[in-house]
Amino acid sequence: MAHSNWAEWIYLGVVTALLIYVGAEAWNVERIIDHAPADAEIIIVTGQQWFWTFEHEDGTKEVGELHLKKDHAYKFEVTSIDVNHDFNIPEFVVLMDAIPGRINTVWFSPNEAGEFEIQCREYCGLIHYNMRAKLYVEDV
Amino acid sequence: MSRIFHLSIIITTLFIIPTVSLAFAAETAGEYIDRKAEIWNLFFRMMTVAFVVGGVIAGTMVWQVWRFRESNPNSKPTEYEEKGEF
Amino acid sequence: MVLELARPRPIWQIMFSTHHTDVGLLYLVFSLLAMFVGGAMAIALRVELFAPGAQLIQDAMTYNRLFTAHGTTMIFLFLLPSAAAVGNYLVPIMVRYKDMAYPKLNAIAFWMIPPAAALVWLGMADFGWYANPPYSVISAPAPAAEMWIFGLKVLGVSSILSSINFVVTILKCKHPDLSLGKVPLLAWSFLTSSIIVLAAMPTFAAALLMLLTDRLGVSGFFNPAVGGDPIAYQHLFWFTFHPEVYVLVIPAIGMMYEIIPRFSRRPIFSHSSGVAAFIILALVSFASWAHHMFATGMSFTEKTVFMVGTLAAVPASAMHVFNFLATMWNGRIKFATPMMFAVGGIALFFAAGAGGVVNTAMPLDFITHDSYWVVGHFHLFVFGTIAFGTIGFVYYLFPYITGRMYNEKWGVVHFILAFVGACITFFTQHILGLFGMPRRIYDYPEIDAWISMNQLVSVGAMIILVGMVIFLGNMIYSMAKGKPANLEDPFGLGGKYYYPFAQRNPQHGEGGY
Repeated sequence: MAHSNWAEWIYLGVVTALLIYVGAEAWNVERIIDHAPADAEIIIVTGQQWFWTFEHEDGTKEVGELHLKKDHAYKFEVTSIDVNHDFNIPEFVVLMDAIPGRINTVWFSPNEAGEFEIQCREYCGLIHYNMRAKLYVEDV
Repeated sequence: MSRIFHLSIIITTLFIIPTVSLAFAAETAGEYIDRKAEIWNLFFRMMTVAFVVGGVIAGTMVWQVWRFRESNPNSKPTEYEEKGEF
Repeated sequence: MVLELARPRPIWQIMFSTHHTDVGLLYLVFSLLAMFVGGAMAIALRVELFAPGAQLIQDAMTYNRLFTAHGTTMIFLFLLPSAAAVGNYLVPIMVRYKDMAYPKLNAIAFWMIPPAAALVWLGMADFGWYANPPYSVISAPAPAAEMWIFGLKVLGVSSILSSINFVVTILKCKHPDLSLGKVPLLAWSFLTSSIIVLAAMPTFAAALLMLLTDRLGVSGFFNPAVGGDPIAYQHLFWFTFHPEVYVLVIPAIGMMYEIIPRFSRRPIFSHSSGVAAFIILALVSFASWAHHMFATGMSFTEKTVFMVGTLAAVPASAMHVFNFLATMWNGRIKFATPMMFAVGGIALFFAAGAGGVVNTAMPLDFITHDSYWVVGHFHLFVFGTIAFGTIGFVYYLFPYITGRMYNEKWGVVHFILAFVGACITFFTQHILGLFGMPRRIYDYPEIDAWISMNQLVSVGAMIILVGMVIFLGNMIYSMAKGKPANLEDPFGLGGKYYYPFAQRNPQHGEGGY
């Protein structure tokens, strides 16, 4: 077959350049959101079949609901006591697996007051579909 | 000339505007990073790339399907058919 | 090739045969059966999700069992066997050998599948097709989980046996005049995908054994209560099953490499670039497994490594797309059903690949992980690309297998319904994921956007169902009553065919094909 491959090489060059752009952008944003600020309040999030428990720094516990203050930074320490769950606040793009025997962290700062959904994103059995909680962000 | 113009518009939207806005966003001190905005902005930038490339590929395919179908009046036997090599 | 129906044989003669075309036929019939079983399960799931509250399925347990069985069926009982079917039919012919290298092993590899299917279908495990511990260790009900584990064990051995067979057939039994570089791309696709299976599958086999002993309580590899690590299982699982995605997609691309040049009436644009892309894909398929696990608490560095590994697979896939488009360029394309499925498959392959790039961009995992976005994304691969390639190839092989033509008009109707249905179903699922709907949920709260999009998805699934029923009817009717095919040139393409379709099956007796 007599043909030249220059078009394929240009095409591959464009594809590779786009991939480098995608990778660099993703790396940069991940770097920006990765580090929790030092003054972030720690909240221990525990998943179990099939509800969420939240423990604040002052020791108060909440089950099935979480009260936070607007424009404060919070760092979640997510864990589980039975099977894998996944702590998720879709509205604020907060997501982290709750895995027994491990503590995973994720942080965010709510910049909107209101009532938001918390749900489980990792299949965890019978009532996985209804493993929900409410997040209340209060304006102070 | 217009091609260069279009290219510069694409480059501006994809690279320069986000860079500039990022630089200014960093200056507002005392506030926490808006995780939601960062991630969704990245998502929409990625989608811009995906849809531009997808548009080019899909457009090429649709044009090929239209142009090289055997029922197209302009279609002619391929060189390989003529030589009986295919 | 073979005229299965022109010379009817007693069914046991086909069942106990070791000839590659007979084994291929068994694989094909079984895989299509499994496709309809798995499809029926998918339809049940979609009917259930049509609206909040219980619709068709009365309890969450049944729903969980159904989605597990759906995924397991489609991957292990439809896609893998259907690829093996095509390989059995064509690989020996393409390397110019009389049969597969080990015919008896070939038949054994097939006959391991139905018992495994029985285990999976009778057990109906409920832990998802990935069986993540600790759920699968401490919470999943017996004996369903054990039956699933044994079924998958058998299927793993079966795919290792058939992979050994393909590798030996291609490397050792090819005609001495045929250099490896000249072996057709379809056979190359089976060579590369079989090598991936041989490298990847033992890991999962080990993980399954560990899972079983964990369930029996004699070990605690993955059970944190006794000091095990559930993440270790996920690494072992995805080390096998990310490459497995390529095991499924590479033969489908090989099938497109067979269909597209034929119907464009041009040779493939670049054989060497196709071979190179297969080899690169086989290598980089092992560099990306942990992108399934970004949310398990991986460090920034780990995530970066696996993001780069994932992005590295894109240029090779893009080379295939380029090869297809460049082959069609300046062709005189006949849009018979197989070609429509191949071209539709390329379009959806691109969409699936673009979605994959978005998935692997690390921060975007916080949006898409375990949401319906992922469901839409991988269905674009497994249905939109792999099943499209396979179904197109079933249409392509149909005249050679049965000696009769399928009905072209109904074939086109099937393609349009499948394509439109796939777009409606799977693109809507992407958006549903962006709205935050998790995967594997039996019921969902009454959120307006979720309800309307779920209904759209279900309607799309019904469109696919109608297409598949037409496919089934077309196959059955045409097998018996279709127009006899001109085996020299069933699709009216002119020119000479590349492989000797008149490969003789010894059981057909004298003078038969």
